[in-house]
Amino acid sequence: MDETLHQLGLGFLHLLTLPNAASLGVGLVVGMLVAVLPGLTLVMGVVLALPFTYGMSVTPSIILLTAMYLSGTYGGAFTSILFRIPGEPLDVPLLWDGYPMARQGKPAQALGWTLLAALWGGLITCVSAVVLAVPFAHFALRFDSPEYFAVVLLGLSGVVALGGASMAKALISLCIGLLLATVGVDDTYGVDRFTFGVPILKDGIEYLTVMVGAYGLGEVLTRMEQGFASPSIDAGKKVETRLPRWREIWPLRPTIARSSLIGILCGIVPGAGATVGSFVAYGIEGQYGKRRAELGTGIAEGIVAPQVASTATVGGHMVPLLALGIPGSGATAVILGAFLLHGVQPGPQIFQTEAAMVYTIFASMFAAVFGMCLLGYFAIKPLIRVLQLPEAVTSAFVALFCFVGAYSARNSLTDLWMIVIFGIVGYLFERFRFPIAPMVLGCILGPIAETSFMTSMIAYQNDWTIFFTRPISGTVMALTVLALLYPAMRYVRRSMRTPRTTVRHA
Amino acid sequence: MFGKLTSLAPYVALCAAAAWLYRDAGAFAAAARPGQLGPDFWPRAILVLLIVVCVCEIVRRLLFEGTARDESAASPTSGGADAQVASEDRFAWCLAGGIGLTIAYVLALDWLGFFVATALYLALFMAVGRYRRTRVIVSASVLGSLAFVYVFMKIVYVSLPLGRGPFKALSVWLLALLGVR
Repeated sequence: MDETLHQLGLGFLHLLTLPNAASLGVGLVVGMLVAVLPGLTLVMGVVLALPFTYGMSVTPSIILLTAMYLSGTYGGAFTSILFRIPGEPLDVPLLWDGYPMARQGKPAQALGWTLLAALWGGLITCVSAVVLAVPFAHFALRFDSPEYFAVVLLGLSGVVALGGASMAKALISLCIGLLLATVGVDDTYGVDRFTFGVPILKDGIEYLTVMVGAYGLGEVLTRMEQGFASPSIDAGKKVETRLPRWREIWPLRPTIARSSLIGILCGIVPGAGATVGSFVAYGIEGQYGKRRAELGTGIAEGIVAPQVASTATVGGHMVPLLALGIPGSGATAVILGAFLLHGVQPGPQIFQTEAAMVYTIFASMFAAVFGMCLLGYFAIKPLIRVLQLPEAVTSAFVALFCFVGAYSARNSLTDLWMIVIFGIVGYLFERFRFPIAPMVLGCILGPIAETSFMTSMIAYQNDWTIFFTRPISGTVMALTVLALLYPAMRYVRRSMRTPRTTVRHA
Repeated sequence: MFGKLTSLAPYVALCAAAAWLYRDAGAFAAAARPGQLGPDFWPRAILVLLIVVCVCEIVRRLLFEGTARDESAASPTSGGADAQVASEDRFAWCLAGGIGLTIAYVLALDWLGFFVATALYLALFMAVGRYRRTRVIVSASVLGSLAFVYVFMKIVYVSLPLGRGPFKALSVWLLALLGVR
């Protein structure tokens, strides 16, 4: 622990250098702006910022993206509470109590509760990341290919189980992502797969083009089909924050504790994320909260629970990313991309080989939590004016960012065609209500899953029971089965209930 | 009945595509070493899963159409957005224009160079997106393109396309003006 604190202290010192501090500041402001604008999602914002990191060194790059990620979980709260426009899907639960509280003439109090929740969620997530990352990495050193396969499978099943849309659609989306990951030259045999004689496909399909196309251009096309018809907003509305008093905070201890735990767990489990954490925390509050009957009428618990949980997922996500090199969400996948672009492979060894960088990132997360809260308290008024920008103008620039971002990676016009293709795919996914996240995660985790599966099969003479007989992989596989069974059971239960309801209505 | 068939279309199309890819994967099965799984195993396993899920969904929609709809609508993270999209007017011509414009932009980039193609793309995109303030359109597209050229070529060091013929000359002149070597 002393060593960890020492490294963290050094991390804070490294953070004081100009590139790191500047990246932190820019990341916080841009993350907040991205979260405020309804047309831009948090993942999209992080994706669009990626090309700017090409010319930077690795530490400021990761600090920039992580700061965006953190402040993005907070910024959307303002539009949810004040204008009933969720900047992000994770802000939707804030509509249910935050907006009613604002309508009761207490917008400053609602924003105060949000700030407090973001501050607590952010601090607890940073502490958990620092405390859990090293033991997690030591534990991961015992991992062999079956364990890696089991963990990746858990992540993939998690995104299917918790993805939100129907399980079949999530599974189809995941399969498409996994198939996209197989395009190109196979690692084990060196054979071309699904290249159809197109030379550029031999290099495979870059998951960044899939992400940028599906999330970025796909969203722009979807909004275009709606005629960029978002209602205009009077952003000059009085925006103030009033922090709650200690005696108001004290009774919310159980809510804060529950939501913190939910957030951290949703962060660590690959596939779950801030949106899932936010919804689950609100749902749990509705079941076990002291004032559960009043939930939805504009009470503090309904604001604090989802906000604490969504911010608390960030540090949780950073743990498997740094310790295993496995991203659990879209935003951490982009951060992994930034690591790889700079020639750094996250994994258990990173805590020995790149300790200074890792702890500077952790230190930047602590600073980012305070920074985003200060920004939210003092500077949100000018920031929120971005809502007055016409949607057609911002969308045109978002589309352009998608192209430049994709082009910058390899200076190849072919990648632009990939963006167009996956932009249309993303639009079709939205149109037919298929979730995009499983496809993207399938695309990212697919190669890791295949390599660890094939290596296990070669090493253990095609004995597939190896995944179930080794203690760690067996436990993880059991969790995977549970994760997949849970929504299936939920569906069966709902199906059994439906006919009875129909009869009653009849 | 027509609505039901339309809702089945994506699953039928995916199933057919998966079956075709499964057959295609047979071509690289030959590379397998004796006693080991071949390079076709993993993609074929995914394709089988995809076909099974699609078939299950088709059957489910044919037999329990109402239930399938209910589940989709009940989804916590997508339900709100779905409902919003369903209730809003659709601007098909706007979408078609946007897609056409985007394809044209990628086609024209190599010819016109980044600056000209981008300025045109931004301006036309805003116009197709039903924005009508000409001054804002012109200034945002020209200044935005210049800013992109400056940031990416001078600061991020990305070699953006210069174009051909007179457009290349224009790009080179512009770069000299911006101090990009």
